[in-house]
Amino acid sequence: MKRRKFLSLGAVAAAATVIPASLSATDFRATAPKAWEAPTSKEAIEALFGSAAATEGKIEIKAPKLAENGGAVPIGIKSSVELTTIALFQDANPRSAVAVFELGDNGVVDMMTKIKMRKTANVTVVGKGKDGKLYSVVQRVEVSIGGCGG
Amino acid sequence: MGMKIKAKMKDGVTEVKLLLSSPMVGKEESETKKVPVSYLTHVTAKVGGKVVWEASTGPFLSKDPYFMFNFKGAKAGDEIVVETIDDKGAKDSDKDVIK
Repeated sequence: MKRRKFLSLGAVAAAATVIPASLSATDFRATAPKAWEAPTSKEAIEALFGSAAATEGKIEIKAPKLAENGGAVPIGIKSSVELTTIALFQDANPRSAVAVFELGDNGVVDMMTKIKMRKTANVTVVGKGKDGKLYSVVQRVEVSIGGCGG
Repeated sequence: MGMKIKAKMKDGVTEVKLLLSSPMVGKEESETKKVPVSYLTHVTAKVGGKVVWEASTGPFLSKDPYFMFNFKGAKAGDEIVVETIDDKGAKDSDKDVIK
């Protein structure tokens, strides 16, 4: 009886420490903390996805040829293959990882966000397909006035 | 705090435009600008309690982050709930009805 009580208390304590850490099942800040500290896209991608080769030519980045405001550079992402996880990186700031998106079962790979770029640099998107394979695309984005990336 | 959500349906696909409120200041910008570190770390969008889109986020998104995203499977009149959490653990939430 004592043992059972001890076990149930343990379960309650474990639940209490786990729940506030995240709103969801897929918190990539918790599962891959190194990826968010990596200075280059190469290191950040390896920390998130490992070093498996990625197929190019399936994902498309839509970005301005010349971004006038480095504080908010619009980055659109589309894909001809179905993706579950989509990660966005740049080499214009002290650290590379910007955001990692996770789509639900009915997700459509058509999204857009705005990022900081303090200088002209490559933007990389890596996606994990529903087929389990990795897909990637790199695009150079020119920035005329730097953003406040530090 | 606060956010703006606009969700509308077209040809079976729900398009969401989301404008969040956060300075998105990381450690580097905090040092150079002498302002406190403050950024969103996670954003979740749910319909009917099910996650339709989520993002783990860092301070290199622009100030007051903007997102557009799409998903299928919802219908006009469904409610979309967006939840955010920042680096201090502060949570925010808002909702919109899909038009």
